[in-house]
Amino acid sequence: MEKRKWRALDHCDDPCGNDSDVLQDGKQSVSTKQQSFERIIVKDSEGVEIHSTDTQAAISLQLGIQAAIAAVISITIGDSEQGKAVTQELNQFIKTKQRNVQTTIVEGSRNISVTTTDTDLAVNIQAMLQILVAIVAKLDIL
Amino acid sequence: MSNLPEKPNAISNKVIDLLVDDTLRRNGIDPDNIKKKLSDQQKKQLKELVEDLTTQVNKFNNQSSTDK
Repeated sequence: MEKRKWRALDHCDDPCGNDSDVLQDGKQSVSTKQQSFERIIVKDSEGVEIHSTDTQAAISLQLGIQAAIAAVISITIGDSEQGKAVTQELNQFIKTKQRNVQTTIVEGSRNISVTTTDTDLAVNIQAMLQILVAIVAKLDIL
Repeated sequence: MSNLPEKPNAISNKVIDLLVDDTLRRNGIDPDNIKKKLSDQQKKQLKELVEDLTTQVNKFNNQSSTDK
């Protein structure tokens, strides 16, 4: 009988002692998870001008709006269960998980200009601001 | 030459209004009651906060589109 080749994941077939599916965090919290991976490679070129979105600035802007929504709810509805429920629900709309992966390669070029934009992030910030404005407008503040 | 993605389409304000209205209603909150409770000072602070953030967002959006 031919001997089976050793495989690192063989132990996963073992019915006992494999509980990796069971342990899952049941808690749901408000999360905005964004990852941006941007690579720009310039090779054998000269006079290359590159503009890229400042992702960090965008994310802090986003957190600022989120904090403002929480503040508005807290001031108007109060820090009650009711207020928490509203904040939670509003945040559900904007709960996002995004991954932006882009690679730009410039090779053998002269005097060119490259602009990259993180569209997802821009849309998200716009939507969050709209929610904030809508709440405030409802309360006759604007 | 530009292959930039289209400028992001804003979500309709009507949709947002609907969502906010519905959320408040389902949680038994009447905006009219809250309006009475807010002091002028609070209103002013909130107004400034929102205006400030709006400016920042506009600046961010313009920045990414004028860099073309």
